[in-house]
Amino acid sequence: MALFRLHIPILDDVKAKGLRKAVADKADELVTRVTAGMNTSAVRSMLRDDPPGRPNPRLTPHAEGFWLHMKPTYYHSLVDGLYPTFRLGWLSTFFFAVEIITGVFLMFYYTPSPLVAYENMLNLLGNVPLGRLMRDIHRLGAELMVIVVALHMLRTYITGSYKKPRQFTWATGIILLGVTLFLSFSGYLLPWDQLSLWAVTIGASMAEAVPPEVVGRNVNLLVRGAPEFGANGLLRFYLLHVIALPLAGILALGVHYYKVIHHGHSLPPGAEEVGEDTATRIPMDRRVYFMPTILTRELWYVLGLTALIVGASVFFFHAPTLEPHANPLVTPLHTTAPWYFLWLQGMLKFGDKVIWGVVVPTILGGLLLVLPYVEVGPSRRYGDRRIGLSAAAVAVVVLAVLSYMGTPHYAVTTSPDQEAVATLLPQTEPGPLRLARWDALNLGTYDASRWQSAPNDTLRGLLSTFYLKLTEVQSKDRSDVQGLMVIEDWQTGVKKVTLRVLWKNIADGSPGEFSQSVYLDKASNYAQGE
Amino acid sequence: MKWQIALGAFATVALVGMLGFVAAGEQARMASFTAAYQARQIEAGAQLFEDNCRSCHGPQGKGIESVAPAINAADLFNGQRLQAISFPGTVEDYVRASIAAGRPKPSAGTNYPQRMPTWAQRNGGPLRDDQIDSLVAYIMNWKDRALAEAGGPAPGPSGPTFGTDISAALPAGDASRGKTLAEGPLGCANCHLLAPVGPAWLAQPGQQGIGTRAETRIKQPDYTGKATDATRYLVESIVQSNAYVAQGFQPNVMPQNFGQRMSAQDVADVIAYLLTLR
Repeated sequence: MALFRLHIPILDDVKAKGLRKAVADKADELVTRVTAGMNTSAVRSMLRDDPPGRPNPRLTPHAEGFWLHMKPTYYHSLVDGLYPTFRLGWLSTFFFAVEIITGVFLMFYYTPSPLVAYENMLNLLGNVPLGRLMRDIHRLGAELMVIVVALHMLRTYITGSYKKPRQFTWATGIILLGVTLFLSFSGYLLPWDQLSLWAVTIGASMAEAVPPEVVGRNVNLLVRGAPEFGANGLLRFYLLHVIALPLAGILALGVHYYKVIHHGHSLPPGAEEVGEDTATRIPMDRRVYFMPTILTRELWYVLGLTALIVGASVFFFHAPTLEPHANPLVTPLHTTAPWYFLWLQGMLKFGDKVIWGVVVPTILGGLLLVLPYVEVGPSRRYGDRRIGLSAAAVAVVVLAVLSYMGTPHYAVTTSPDQEAVATLLPQTEPGPLRLARWDALNLGTYDASRWQSAPNDTLRGLLSTFYLKLTEVQSKDRSDVQGLMVIEDWQTGVKKVTLRVLWKNIADGSPGEFSQSVYLDKASNYAQGE
Repeated sequence: MKWQIALGAFATVALVGMLGFVAAGEQARMASFTAAYQARQIEAGAQLFEDNCRSCHGPQGKGIESVAPAINAADLFNGQRLQAISFPGTVEDYVRASIAAGRPKPSAGTNYPQRMPTWAQRNGGPLRDDQIDSLVAYIMNWKDRALAEAGGPAPGPSGPTFGTDISAALPAGDASRGKTLAEGPLGCANCHLLAPVGPAWLAQPGQQGIGTRAETRIKQPDYTGKATDATRYLVESIVQSNAYVAQGFQPNVMPQNFGQRMSAQDVADVIAYLLTLR
């Protein structure tokens, strides 16, 4: 008989303790295993913030479990408030997690090939339930992550937390900043529309400028996989985006966080004597325990922020409208790099591409990386760091100015006639003409200077916008500027709208003309903002 | 801590609610996105047609005699053309296949000696698949009007062709028939009425109509043609359009074969119409 006896201890328990007690004990055991050391009543008392017993069961998960082993058992009460961390490091990690989760969802529907990438985007937006929402969250998370990581660096600089002994933590942080920027940048290319191709082309053109010429040419080939972006370039950016950079990010984040915990969160600058670092020696009365205070806070932050970012993506923020398919032969007017690289585009307008596009950014990056090893002043107090803090303020202002200079508003020489047409028919967004009510585009020829006599408000609005911009075409070289809008019936439900700018060149009296046409379908609905 | 738990719970409920809200509208949103994209394909197709197809298939796809057949034509959409070559698929299949692979051989019984090139990148041509789809969407959008126009004036000249001699005799013209011809089978209006491809016929701000301009143009010092009055100037412009090209326009843009496509009556009618545009 003993040969066939099954070993099922729960049956013995049921026999010994009765069904109810046996199941309750089993459940308790399960909870203890999942929490790595806290049973149901300990979890319950922790969540109710009852005083812990002795020995404190809330310390066991920190000793036994993998995830909580990474977390300190308690924090200094001086770093528990919003100041001095502003929770920016935590937020960076949160957005990194959001990006990984939504990114994996997007990967299900994406193939990194120019033959199908754009079609995949159409499928994602037009055929995948919640596909647009996932894309919007991924995009919003990416933008916020760049902002939060940059602010995190600024905060660390301002509170002097990069100083000894945290130099290496700062250096890994700079690497993480770079990883964040390049993650965002490499993702830009993947939709394979005109916006992505040209924004990334502008950014990647810096690779070509690396001196000497033979190095630049080969670096460019390595980055793009060919002289211009194509199948190889897209595949490279995809693999960087989904494997290489996230892996680098996770590794650097591991080191960064290890160092943060190892040295303790740096206290506010005024809290300790100059040259002292007492972050890891936390007096008994200053301890804020991870359980329950920090744990419940972080849990509710995750829930609240997830709801916020989803809500923002549902109601306010949408990733940019998918533009026409990438076309290496057509450069849209007013193409810019992504906003966080506008300062670089602004610097390039100073002149030499090698100096301003490669040498200066490399020096700046290098300086940031070695900053804590070079700037070794012992005091973290604001009053002792007037030069350093002023330098930070100047740097922020300079970055803002350079970013403005990077936009098309600054020192981009295009002809005013093209600009006039582009006010109604921009090449990087739908613009007023495509967004105008189709039915209001009455057939006919309209002179912009007589916009008041146009038959309806829509046309009057478009023509007066056009006319205002036309006054800039008038110059010492050009006179008799005239703007025409011709609207023709083209096909069932399709109108052709032609914008013509005519002028007389004063020098030789010859006529000049610039015109551009667009075909508008009744149902193209540019306003839906996908 | 209680408020944290409360807010966390509220956030979770809100999150689920928002996801439900999005999911409920998702079917309609996806349909609207797809509809909008199809409309944008027609727009892109119109541009592609102007850039790549118009030079042979004519403005509005009305065809150019002995160059390329009309695509904007009833016999394509009502299936006659497909029956003639025993094509088994739909009209859309036929259009897509013809664009993607070209026509290595003209259909029997037609007079189109030029071979249609292959357009798809996968066949060695210049266009991506989505561009071919756009062109097909644009061409298929002609269907309703092409079928409705089937009862209009018959294409082709109404008698012996006129030729290119500008001094040939002209019968009395009928302006209203001329208008029908110019806006219909000859396709003049596609370039000359309002569009900036050829000189506009209608009076515009700062410019009189073609009927008046024909009289003044022959007196201009840069005039290079042989006409001596407005009627002959217009004849010359139709059948020998390169004799004089108005300032601001390029030679050879206007088809050179109107002398072979029009009878003397057709020419007279169109000119009678043009002379009414003062």
